[in-house]
Formats: sequence, C-alpha cells, structure tokens
Amino acid sequence: MDILLNPYYLQIGTFIMLNAILGVSIYLTLATGQLSLGNAGFMSIGAYTSALLTLKAGFSVLLAVPLAGFVAAAVSVVIGFPALRLKGLYLAIATLGFGEVVRVIFLNLKITNGALGLSGIPSMTILLGKTLSSLGLGSGIGGVTLQQLSSVLILFFLILIVALLVFACLRLSRCRAGRAFAAIKTDETAAEAMGINTTYYKLLAFLLGAFIAGVAGALSAHLTFYIGPVDFDYHRTVEILIFAVLGGSNLVWGPILGAFLLTLLPEILRAASDYRMMIYGAILVLMMAFRPQGLISEETLRFWKGKLGREEK
Amino acid sequence: MFWQQLVNGLTLGSTYSLVALGYTLIMGVLDIVNMAHGEVFMFGAFVGLILVTNFHCNIFVAMLGAAIVSALLGILLERVALRPLRRKNGSGISHLAPLISTIGVSIFLESLALKLFGPQTQAFPQTFSNTIYTIGPMKISLVQVVILAVAFGLMLVLRFWLARTKIGKALRATAESTETAGILGVNTNLIIVLTVSLASGLGGIAGVLVGLTFNAVEPTMGISMGLKGLAVLILGGMGNITGAMFGGLVLGVAEVFSVAYGASSYRDAVAFGMIILILFLRPQGLFGAKDQTGGR
Repeated sequence: MDILLNPYYLQIGTFIMLNAILGVSIYLTLATGQLSLGNAGFMSIGAYTSALLTLKAGFSVLLAVPLAGFVAAAVSVVIGFPALRLKGLYLAIATLGFGEVVRVIFLNLKITNGALGLSGIPSMTILLGKTLSSLGLGSGIGGVTLQQLSSVLILFFLILIVALLVFACLRLSRCRAGRAFAAIKTDETAAEAMGINTTYYKLLAFLLGAFIAGVAGALSAHLTFYIGPVDFDYHRTVEILIFAVLGGSNLVWGPILGAFLLTLLPEILRAASDYRMMIYGAILVLMMAFRPQGLISEETLRFWKGKLGREEK
Repeated sequence: MFWQQLVNGLTLGSTYSLVALGYTLIMGVLDIVNMAHGEVFMFGAFVGLILVTNFHCNIFVAMLGAAIVSALLGILLERVALRPLRRKNGSGISHLAPLISTIGVSIFLESLALKLFGPQTQAFPQTFSNTIYTIGPMKISLVQVVILAVAFGLMLVLRFWLARTKIGKALRATAESTETAGILGVNTNLIIVLTVSLASGLGGIAGVLVGLTFNAVEPTMGISMGLKGLAVLILGGMGNITGAMFGGLVLGVAEVFSVAYGASSYRDAVAFGMIILILFLRPQGLFGAKDQTGGR
C-alpha cells in the first residue's frame, strides 16, 4: 500500500495524465491533417489565465480552469482563421511564431511577473486537503494520510478527465464533425468538393485542441504552484508533438501511449535524461523514416483484435 | 535618425534575406519547410567563431569555413531526414512527415550545440576597426559595410547563377516539376543535394554575419532566426526568391524601427505580427502569384 501511495509515483502518474491531455490536444488538430506548433503557447495562456484569475481576482480554481480553456480557444480563432483558410503548412508556421510571441509577451508583462514567473498559485492538492479535513477526514482514513488521500483523488480526477476525452474522441469519429475531420485529413480538395466547409472544420479542430491545451496548462499551474515563461517554450511544443508522433496520430490511443512512454522514459533511464532532447530528435527522425503512422495504427489494432480472437465488426 | 535606422535595418535585413533564401530554395525545389535551417545557421555561426577565435583566421576565410561545414551539415540532413521519406513517397505518407522529421533534426542539433559549445553566449572577437564612414545624414561602420557587401554580393551572384547558368536552369526546372525535369534528363537527386547544400551554406555565412552584427553567438539563436526566416518565407511568398530577398529587408527595417520608435522588448514579436497581417491581407505573399508557382 505504501509503495502504491509513494508521493513520487503519484507525481509521475499525475504528469502522465497531464501529458495525455496534451497528447489529445495535438491529436485533435492532427485529425484534420494540420500541424499546430502552438500548443505550448495555448498551454501557457491557460496556465497564466487561471493563475492570475485565482491569485489576483479571487476566482475559485474550479471556475478558473474552464475559463482558461475558453480564453485559449478564443485566442486560437485569431491565429487559426487566417492560417487555416490556406492549404499546406501555414498553420504550422503561424503557430510556431505564435508560441514564441506568447512567450515574449509573458516575459515582458508586469502582471505575469516577467522572467521570474508566478508562484504561490493555489494548489488543487492543498485545496482538496482542506476540504477533506473540514469533512472530518483531517487525520486520513485507515492509515492513509490526508496528503496521500488528496493526491490520489487528484490523480483519479485527472484519469477521469482523460477517460472523458478519450470517450469524446471515440464518439467524435462516428459523428458528422469527426467524419469531416477524417475526410479533410485524407484529401482536402476532395473533401471540399464533397461540400465540406474545410475552413470551418479545420478551425473547429484547432479550437478544440487549443481549449484542451489551455485546460491542461491551467491544471498544471494548479498542480505545480509555479509557472514561468520557460515552462512553455518551443521544446515543450516539440515534446507534445512527439507524443503523437511516437504513439501514432490516427487513433486517440496513440498520443496517450506516447505520453505514457515518454513521461516514464526519463524517470526510468535517469542517465538518459541529460540527452533527452537529442533522443527526442532522433525519435522524430526515425519514426518518420520507418513508421510514420506511429506505434498504434488501425492495422495494429486490427492485428491484436484478431490475435485475441475478437471479430472485427 | 530616420536614415541612420534605415541603414541599420537594411544591414540586419540583409542577413534575414540570406537565411530566408535558404528556406526558399529548399521550399521551391523540394516543396518542404526545412525546420532545421535555423540550427544549421547557428552551427555556421559557431564554426565561424571557432575559426576566428581559435585558429585566428581571416573573417572571410571563417565565412568560407562556416559555409562548407553548414553545407556538409545540409547534405547530412538531406541524407538522414529527407531522402528516406522521399523514397517512400506515394505510400500514403502525409505532407507533414518532412516537417516533423526536420523538427527532429533541429532539436537534435540544438541540444548537440548545447553539449559542444555550452549554453552561454559567446562574444565574437573584434575583427574590424571601429572606422565609421559618414555619408550625408548616415553613419555606417566598417562591419556594416562588410555585411551589406557580402550579403548583397551573394544574392546577386545567386540570382545570376540561377538565371544564366545551365545548373541554375536545371534547378529552376526541378523546382517547377521534379518529375518532368527528371524525364528531360536532369539529375534531380544531384540538384536536390546541391540545393540543400547551397541553402545551408548561405545559412552558415548568414550565421557569421549575424554573429558580427550582434557580437554574440549562442545555441538558441537558431530558433529565433529560424522563425524570422519563416516569417520572411510567408511574407515574400513561398518559394519565391525575389520575395525572400525583399521580405528579409522589409522585416529587418520593420524590426529596427520598432526598436527605435517603441517597444524594444517586443522586437521578436514583429516577425509574428507580420505573418498574421500578411495571412489576412495577401496570403500568397508580397511577390507570390495567385497559384503560388510564379516568380521563380
């Protein structure tokens, strides 16, 4: 029991879930065949919005986190609308620029405390702990301390969010919007000829991705108590991208597997964490050369379903 | 003040033009955005720095050395990250693959530079005297003269080379259609390698020039310069060589003026503002034709 409730493991679990949420955010944009390199930027908008709302305006965390997502989504429309009217790589370039600009702005604004970043952000774990002790669980239950209990609950909360997102994505692939996404990804010109409003659906996918990234940023702010501009630079974007590239971006399971593997990897291979970025770079090149569809694709799923003796419907 | 800032802007802009030319050449011929170009540029700057500091080379020799090393790096990049994808072309591989692959190369090179050269900013040794020439209302330093001369000289040579020589013609034919050029007897693989090494060599020289301009070389300079090159790529029109040359100058002047007359800490945001503005107003770029193939 103590091993399971080790704060270090709980922490890693929390990070895996946060990264899985980010993986879903980039998956949604990739689902239309567009690459967004601004997810770290949206994450930072979410993180700073939520942190400032709770710190300076006295909002409750539960209200500030979704609001942060909406702010990120609103900003995404401004970037996405001009970039998504065009075919090709415009979104990638525009969002790459956007990510850098957001960083520069947060670095220079007074309210975000510049390069020092914001600290003392209300922590979800501590807030939950307070709520629990006011319910009379101040000494914990059955040998589990209050801190462990609230960490576990937070982890379950994050798992719940990831599960909801996965469910939504699975449902999406069977509805109008999801089918439009798939059509645009396969062939944008053909999709347009079929009467699909490609700009609308590309913007929708981009906006959903930005919203989720914003929420993930807000959650990470309330889990780590501190945010600074350095946390959300180009490397963060590449890190999010690589979840989808390693795991695969055709199915929602791909980025989640990618987030799981790549969050665990530096923890298991401590020696390798020095060379993390080099390894990431090599993974990106190798995956594109040898398995561009990622570890999980429709074929992999079908293969394992066959192995396990289940019929493909 | 105005004329002075204009000279400074043009000097800075001419280095942007050189970097953007690298993106444009590769975009034109291979139809991909080489995200690792900024890092090739950064390696060029470091090679120049090492040649000047440790080997006491003449600055022009250092530029040549930087160009050669960058060109080799470019060839390596093409071998490792682009050729394997090209061979697979047609088997349902998305157009994002080369983009992602070169992003991989870019972060690999950046962290390699951090390991090799250390994270600190290194100063370029003073290579030119502080002579300042006064022309009318403008003051121009010897370093600026050298930068302008090298950058504009290279651009002129490139223009002439593309327009008049046989290889230049082959390169333009490959840019128009790789398949057709191949059928007509152009060794397109050779042209592609040549283009990538040419683009990277220009990037390396630009690295030395930028090192001279700001008197600073650091591993992270690749990302910000790469972003500016991409901004110029969109500004001038994708794959448009005239657009890249002119767009670089526009960005340089715009940046210098924004620093001189306003927000100095937001100078890096100018490039992005330009991207968004141009996407709204004239998405094909300043010099781009409507069908985005013209002007090569």
